[in-house]
Amino acid sequence: MSETDPSGPAPSRSEQTWAFLLLRLFIGLRTLLAGIDKFESNGTYSFANYYANMGRMAQGITGASFLPLWATANFAHSLGYLLVLLGAALLLGLKTRATLVLTGLLYVGLSFGLMAVQEDEGVAWLAIHVGLIAGALALARHNRFALWRDRS
Amino acid sequence: MATDPPPGLTRRDFLAAGARLGTAILAGPYLVRAAAAAGADTLNVALTGCGEQGRVLLNAALKIPGIRFRAVCDLWPYNRRYGERLLKKFGHDPVPFADHREMLASTPDLDAVIVATPDFMHAEHANAALRAGHHVYCEKLMSNTVEGARSMVLTARETGRLLQIGHQRRSNPRYLYARDRIVRGAGLLGRVTNAEAQWNRAVAHDLGFPAHQGIPDEVLQAHGYANMHEFRNWRWFRKYSGGIISDLGAHQIDIFNFMLGANPVSVMAGGGRDYYPNHEWYDNVFAIYEYPTPSGTVRTSYTVLTTTSAGGGYFEYFMGDEGALKMSENPRYTKLYREARAPDWDHWADEGLIARPGSGEGAPPPAKPWEKPHRRLPGLSRQDSVVDVRESAELSAWDMPVTLDKAIHQPHLENFFDAIRGRSTLHSPGEVAFATAVTVLKVNEAVAARKMLAFEPGDFVA
Repeated sequence: MSETDPSGPAPSRSEQTWAFLLLRLFIGLRTLLAGIDKFESNGTYSFANYYANMGRMAQGITGASFLPLWATANFAHSLGYLLVLLGAALLLGLKTRATLVLTGLLYVGLSFGLMAVQEDEGVAWLAIHVGLIAGALALARHNRFALWRDRS
Repeated sequence: MATDPPPGLTRRDFLAAGARLGTAILAGPYLVRAAAAAGADTLNVALTGCGEQGRVLLNAALKIPGIRFRAVCDLWPYNRRYGERLLKKFGHDPVPFADHREMLASTPDLDAVIVATPDFMHAEHANAALRAGHHVYCEKLMSNTVEGARSMVLTARETGRLLQIGHQRRSNPRYLYARDRIVRGAGLLGRVTNAEAQWNRAVAHDLGFPAHQGIPDEVLQAHGYANMHEFRNWRWFRKYSGGIISDLGAHQIDIFNFMLGANPVSVMAGGGRDYYPNHEWYDNVFAIYEYPTPSGTVRTSYTVLTTTSAGGGYFEYFMGDEGALKMSENPRYTKLYREARAPDWDHWADEGLIARPGSGEGAPPPAKPWEKPHRRLPGLSRQDSVVDVRESAELSAWDMPVTLDKAIHQPHLENFFDAIRGRSTLHSPGEVAFATAVTVLKVNEAVAARKMLAFEPGDFVA
């Protein structure tokens, strides 16, 4: 009588590759579009809109928390550019493992700001993002279709 | 460091000149306003009744250019002084009177008289002013009796003077827009089948008066009042008023007539004095009217309560088979609703007739201080959905793009003054308000009779 593995057969490499690719595409698109959205106001996109939006965000967080304006302003003014860069890097597959770590840290930083203003709904929303990124990191060794691969 | 006065100017002169300059600076805005009111187009006006409603009208009228108050009249010196001082503060110089007959005799160059005395005095005061050759703006309800109201219409007709009754919603641009553009123009409600209105007000204590400011009983009795308590709380006593249906209900029942363009054919009502033992009039009244309109019968219900503010405050709600309009003088209670079966309203919003809700019901949640304002995509209004086969699809909420940025009585007074100058026609002339008075006063009869009462078309003609 042969023994069977109670956990069932291990997923194939192909399945893990597709699972990671789906996560990478989702997180990449979500991050890229979240960054682009920071430049929008009344249907138009511009740098002026970006600084207005991010200024409001920094003032709002500072006004409702203990965080100083210099900290929230610096974070806010770099947030949109970082989201665009990291999102594009994930989609293109540029140093994906490192990019995922940086993206996760960015979302944790954003969560910290929302935790400071007790925006629980936003924190929960970002926690889902962080969870997806953590899952992606666990599957990162199955990364394919990347322009600039991580060192294995 | 103090500045020495220039040579030839004593310290006393310097201080006096400084005081005059300071007075001129402080009084400047009032003097400019008063000077503006003294132009060729200026109307000389008197106010009879400086109580609660008289003060509301005074404050609204003071914002209208071209009005000069020449006299104020009130039986109670306390009220009279208030009116006089308020007007003087704004650059007017009214002569105070205790007796309206004396006022009319002593100030013959008046153009108009505003009557804001208790309802049972409206006919006497308005008729006397009309006979003296003045135009009259009289507070609602026109009178506490149909006969009193009829006499006012007849006197206005006989003298050829204007008589405007203070149903101020009829001049409110929001109400005019709702009736003329939304209900009649675009027909957004479809066939109007029902309406309801209410005014729910929390418990209020009877009005008192400052110590040593009471009017002697013999003076009160000479003017028809039993005592100071009834003088101050006349709205609750049958001799002076039609009760809450006339005090609060008159405004909103008038809007039934205004919006439906009809007078009712019947009314049934209930109510009673169940809470305030020292009042004569009912503290709650419920009425149901039946209106014949060209598109069919409209049934309306009206509730006025003075023991609770629960139930959503005060509003008039017109319901049709394609939409509903909830109106109130308070814009917070105003909303338009589209039935799921109605044709799409997006094009009306694109044309500016109505607005997608920016606040309140149906509006997206407000952005938090750190959030980017939500972008609203055209065509993505709330989708209709049926939760259960027994429920109707949810109504979608919309707004009216019209606001009133004045005191709520101001447009109605402006309409009156414009009509005197021949630039407008009255929005609530005596004949129209007479029909409202008949509509309203019949409710008290129906409560007492405990049965449905019928109106004849002739009832509404003075």
